[in-house]
Amino acid sequence: MISLIKSPKEKELKIVNISGGTGVRRRLFSLGIHKNDIILLDSCSMFRGPVLIKNLTTDTSVAVGRGIASKIMVDIVE
Amino acid sequence: MLNKKENIPDIVFIGQPNSGKSTLFNSIAGLKAVTSNFPGTTVKHTHSRVTVKGRLFNIIDLPGTYSLNPSDEAEKVALSHLFVEKPDLIVNVVDASILGRSLEMTLELLEIESPMVIALNMMDLAEKKGIKVDPEKLEKILGVPVVPTIASHGRGIKELLERALAYFDKGLKPTKLSWSKDVEDQIRSVKKVIPDEFKKVANNRFTAIKAIELDRPSFNQMLGEISAPLKERVFKARDNLQENHGVPAYEVIAAERHHLALKIFEDCCQLTRRKKASFSERIDDVIMHPFWGYVILISVFISFFLIIFLVASPIEEILLGPLTEIRETLPKYLGTGVLFYIADGLLQGVGGGIAIVLPYFIPLLLLMSLLEDTGYLSRVGFLMDELMHQIGLHGKSVSPFILGFGCNVPAVVSTRILESRRDKILTSLLIPFIPCSARTTIILALVAFYLGPVWAVGFYFFNMILVAFLGRVISLFFKSPSPGLILEIPSLKTPSFSNMIKKVYFQLKSFIGFAWPILIAGSVVLGLLQFFHIDKTINLILSPVVEHALGLPEELGVTLIFGFLRKELSLIMMLQALGVNYNQLLSVISQQQILVFTVFLSFFIPCLSTVAIIWKEIGRKWAMVSIFLNTSVALLISFIARLIFIGI
Repeated sequence: MISLIKSPKEKELKIVNISGGTGVRRRLFSLGIHKNDIILLDSCSMFRGPVLIKNLTTDTSVAVGRGIASKIMVDIVE
Repeated sequence: MLNKKENIPDIVFIGQPNSGKSTLFNSIAGLKAVTSNFPGTTVKHTHSRVTVKGRLFNIIDLPGTYSLNPSDEAEKVALSHLFVEKPDLIVNVVDASILGRSLEMTLELLEIESPMVIALNMMDLAEKKGIKVDPEKLEKILGVPVVPTIASHGRGIKELLERALAYFDKGLKPTKLSWSKDVEDQIRSVKKVIPDEFKKVANNRFTAIKAIELDRPSFNQMLGEISAPLKERVFKARDNLQENHGVPAYEVIAAERHHLALKIFEDCCQLTRRKKASFSERIDDVIMHPFWGYVILISVFISFFLIIFLVASPIEEILLGPLTEIRETLPKYLGTGVLFYIADGLLQGVGGGIAIVLPYFIPLLLLMSLLEDTGYLSRVGFLMDELMHQIGLHGKSVSPFILGFGCNVPAVVSTRILESRRDKILTSLLIPFIPCSARTTIILALVAFYLGPVWAVGFYFFNMILVAFLGRVISLFFKSPSPGLILEIPSLKTPSFSNMIKKVYFQLKSFIGFAWPILIAGSVVLGLLQFFHIDKTINLILSPVVEHALGLPEELGVTLIFGFLRKELSLIMMLQALGVNYNQLLSVISQQQILVFTVFLSFFIPCLSTVAIIWKEIGRKWAMVSIFLNTSVALLISFIARLIFIGI
């Protein structure tokens, strides 16, 4: 289990846990990011900007700040 | 509802952001749609009346919301409308290309058990993505009519309305979908103890679900006040769910919807996905690239201004000819009495609007809606997030800022999407420094026209640096850090030209109805002030600032006062005050003076409407801070500009 910001790019990842405040978690759920979803970490912007999550389960893309990304734990899908 | 008395049924349009809901709504409502605020709020909604098969309906476009859990102001408004006004029919606009996610809200809406029709929108995009949706199967599962539409091409709309009408007449209700047994058990246990007087929201099951989901101190307190046994039961249900699933109850319910939505999605869709990345995904790789993304961003930004300038300035020159001629013949017919001053003011207000403002304003609106409709703006938010962090905010503040380029007023309103008050205040204080369309018009009409487009672009860059600098400084006063960004990046879309035209039309209509009369009235008032020589007194009072500090002609003093009403007013009045025509401007004022004037005008007191909205949104204290901040920054920067460009 690794944090999303430490995950490799372009590899399928499975969300195993989302921690953080209620507001943030609710927001992630309503934008279609849930536990057990398969995602791809797409591009990281220059410097220390947000990360782009491509959710393969719901086929949506969501940009999240690094603070939030560090609270999303994933497993690499082999 | 607005028309309940007249017995006209209400149809509300509800859907997630970027689902094409407003496009669908606009193509049904046509050009007669009216935009107004929801009672007691400044969240706008559009409504109109349509006739389907000879019967009249009220149609209402609710703000886009991701779920029925209110997390921002716009969502609260959509929710309270649903529950308080109880519309007769819901049209749920769903993005077929991301059906799995969109259905989560559809399932929430079905829980209300109101008559509902689903517009399965963006079918073309879904097909491009390799998703083949079977609307009939979806219809069977959900028990409500599902009509495929492509709103941007106006396809499926007639059928949608007809099926909505038939469904409405039959008084049908959606299928009741159920979740896992243990979750249903908890819901049932809460449902049983809901007292009769609590039946306000939809039905008992929906009320029970929401009570379990809404775990907030204020709500819990309210529950206790209504019924102690109910509160106890709700708490027990939450505990049970948490114990069984290891996550908070609201997450259990969110997961239930998620799984059900995915199951329905799998049941009624065929995936013919190609392994290869689609064309739009490849474009995305470039425009969101860590390096090229920024190169493109800057190029888009520069071309934005160049295009507007190249289109507008020749038109402006052509239109100014006749305006000048008419102005020159005025004294022949009217002499130099009060009538001349009134007529001259009128002519300046009307003619200035046509010749100086509109040529820049229309292409600006068109390009803004192009950037918005393609989905590029949310990518700007992604790219700018880090920069925003540098000024103490996060990428979510980008969207109020971007709105600010159109008009500062809706931009301040949209700071409601920011969860923390700190971000809201900081963003609201910075928005008045974002050059709105009125100020962009001034920058283009003065700086680009008289000093060249490169100067206008430079002005803009300077403006951005100023915003960043101010953000950095102001954020020093707010200690708490900003919460992180969560922003959907919708897929890129080919914008529909007719939709863009419609948007421009609506914005133009509001300019003509609201801003232009102020421009005309202001110009006439200035004419009268000139006739009675009151302008001279005002100019004399302001001359220490205007003439001595900024090195500008004393006559411009009076125009700055009017700039508080509408910034364009200062532009139009400038000529009237100096007593020259647009093409003779350089004979009475130097290029450098034009620059200093524009700098001052751009940054000083936000216009009246902006001050009013800041006052309303974050309070009088901050409105005063905003006025003080803007005026002092404007004075300081324009004084520095004077020292650099004009000298002492």
